[in-house]
Amino acid sequence: MNFDLLAQTSCGLYLGLALMTLASVPKRDREPRQLWSFACTIAGTLLAYCSGSLVWFTAGWALTVVPYWVWIETGPRWPLTAGTLALVAGTALHSVPGAAAQTFSFGALMLAVLLRKGIFPLHSWVPGGLEQSPPLLLGLLLNGHLGAFLILRFAIPLMPEAASLAIVFLSGLALFTAVYTALLALSDNRSLRILGLLAVSQASFMLAGIENRNVEGITGALVHWFVVAAATTGLLCAYRALEARYPAVANPAGYLGLASHAPRLAVFFSIFGLALIGLPGTLGFAAEDLLFHGSLESHPLLGIALPLATALNAITMYRLISRLFFGRSATATPTIPDALPRERWALAGAVVFLVVGGILPGTLISLRSVPAERIVALLGGQ
Amino acid sequence: MPMETVLLAVVVAPALSFLLLSALWLIGVELSERVIARLTCSVFLGMTAACATLGWSLLTTGATTSWDGGVWFHAGKYEFLLGLIADRLSLPLMTLTAVLVGLVGSFSRRYMHREAGYLRFYLLLNLFAFGSMLTLAAESFDLLIGGWELVGISSALLVAFFNQRSGPVRGALHVFSAYRIGDLGLLLGVFVLHYLAGSAEDSHLFPGVWPMQGTTVGPFAGAMTGLLFLFAAAAKSAQVPFSSWLPRAMEGPTPSSAIFYGAISVHLGAYLLLRIQPVLAAAPVAAIAVGVIGVLTALFGTLLHRVAVDAKSSIAYAAMTQLGVIFLEIALGFPRLALLHIVGHAVVRTLQFLRAPSMLHDYHRVHAAAGGHLDRTGEHFERLLPEGLRRWAYRFALDRGFLDVLASDAVVAPVISFSRWLGRWEAPPKAACTPPAGEALGVLKETKA
Repeated sequence: MNFDLLAQTSCGLYLGLALMTLASVPKRDREPRQLWSFACTIAGTLLAYCSGSLVWFTAGWALTVVPYWVWIETGPRWPLTAGTLALVAGTALHSVPGAAAQTFSFGALMLAVLLRKGIFPLHSWVPGGLEQSPPLLLGLLLNGHLGAFLILRFAIPLMPEAASLAIVFLSGLALFTAVYTALLALSDNRSLRILGLLAVSQASFMLAGIENRNVEGITGALVHWFVVAAATTGLLCAYRALEARYPAVANPAGYLGLASHAPRLAVFFSIFGLALIGLPGTLGFAAEDLLFHGSLESHPLLGIALPLATALNAITMYRLISRLFFGRSATATPTIPDALPRERWALAGAVVFLVVGGILPGTLISLRSVPAERIVALLGGQ
Repeated sequence: MPMETVLLAVVVAPALSFLLLSALWLIGVELSERVIARLTCSVFLGMTAACATLGWSLLTTGATTSWDGGVWFHAGKYEFLLGLIADRLSLPLMTLTAVLVGLVGSFSRRYMHREAGYLRFYLLLNLFAFGSMLTLAAESFDLLIGGWELVGISSALLVAFFNQRSGPVRGALHVFSAYRIGDLGLLLGVFVLHYLAGSAEDSHLFPGVWPMQGTTVGPFAGAMTGLLFLFAAAAKSAQVPFSSWLPRAMEGPTPSSAIFYGAISVHLGAYLLLRIQPVLAAAPVAAIAVGVIGVLTALFGTLLHRVAVDAKSSIAYAAMTQLGVIFLEIALGFPRLALLHIVGHAVVRTLQFLRAPSMLHDYHRVHAAAGGHLDRTGEHFERLLPEGLRRWAYRFALDRGFLDVLASDAVVAPVISFSRWLGRWEAPPKAACTPPAGEALGVLKETKA
């Protein structure tokens, strides 16, 4: 067990997100298969966060993939399994002495990260998976961000020299992924694909931020983790609530005008979306500011690519909000119920987290800067 | 009460009003129209009084009021400092904002009566006022970005106020896209300031009292910053080549058009350039670019104004013309004149926008008082230009300078085509899974026809 500050904050956030998700799951999704899947995913992620050894971490990681073999018939079974096998291979090789074995071990761990995080060219399964499998379940799996955790907790401390070299390559790919998926989302109309692409794009900044090798940049990446996790989970919960009421939201043929009957769901969705792209007054602004400044010293390219990808994502997000909630009169809009009390309180919790965290970000940032300092020391940064 | 606290209260008051109204709505409390309007107007009345107090202090003591909020957050060597300043540049515009937003809030009590989005309108008005105050009073450009972006999002949401129709929704997407692309200039400009000048704090970059400040920014960094900030300012102030969003923004309610596109929001670009006036003075390349953009916009605006067929668009193009002149004044190094021009122009345009729905009535009253139709004025182009050129100019103005077509064909369509081409590698194409080329950035196809 290793329940340090990184694990504590990650567990705290994840438990909050899990509670929000479970509270807002539509009734039709509350069947035993899905509930077991949720339990498995949550347990696996928490086990991975608390693990002190690569073996236990691998066990937790693998547990999150089990639902896709046991209970969920469709979904990103193969990419998740490939990532798990890469992690198992990396873990097994790590116990083998010798430089070659260590090199292969590290390579396998990096492959696991690329697959799990959906980094280019292995990113397509994320938007596809959201469309093909229960989105809330996959959202919880993705928002564990076990790929980033694997790098921070094991890859860098166990193999700092190899990690130092690999992270340059990895962050370059992450940066490319951020802009590439932002471009892809710009011309898509399918709601879940857009959400998946935006989630991948914004989450890529976490890996890119680690390359900064300074405390502000890595702290920014770790705070951005909070933002991406809370905002995308909130977006998926609000989306699923809408989809359960009106399935046409999956591929809107035009403007749906749902705000007239579901104004609170519209507001929740909009706040989560705007927080994801760094709206001032939300935690996303502070996170992106730290990432931005962290990149000044060591990685100016990130300083240019980050605003570009964020601008593209902002336009896509605004377009999605418009298509779902605006553009039709109340009489031409299907009558759907607004957020139910349980949904309202669950989503309001995440909104409060993002907004209060945005107004008073000091506490959250200080919680993340301690692990960031340790990582910088391991990477030999400033 | 210390002046620092008064300054803080002026900036924070609309944010508190916004949060209070939002929280009450979220927990299900339904406020009457009267309560919403009175709360908002009381806030702006208080802000006006507070600005007057700050102004009196500035006049009598000559000292700039500043509020130091210390470190907002920090990590490693980086600290985000919270600081506000009410100096000779920001205070007149803060006062103008408090007065005009309060006035528009009061006017809207009746204008927006029984509109479905009455509360939404006042919420966005408060959010906009907070964003504007933050932009104007920010002591650092890092903080200014926060206010700048809040103005952008509240502006787009107000353009889409009548969201039952697709026109305002598409218009809002166009406005939002233009703003976000323009914001890149501001973000990268701040990046350059940090990278090359070591700070984005006003007091560090521009020591002295406005408008007699010096600068610690070097010529190269100054030119880079000036050009990047010009990019952002041009987008915010609807200057060429970003001006095509302005007529679409007229889809919003008239009071919001008055405060955004007649008074405050469009002038924030000019304010940004006034804030970096010492940099422009030290970097002739940037100053020349500001001047050229200003002249082009002034000519462009006056041409388009002459063919506009609705009152609000006509006023908006006239405002664009004056903004071009203000840009030119800044480029030529007349900051006091530019500030005076901004204040006067904002007041006149607000009045014009608010009276726009009654324009015919006003004309009839003026004509009746004058005892008949007044002689037509202006028409200089009509008298001075040869007919061939006039026809070309007419066509040019009718097509809004072909800027929409250029933006659609040269920027939006290639980006969307590229995006679709990439998408083909990702997932099999499905019918209706991609938006029309122009829709992705809010550029309407019908404008191309």
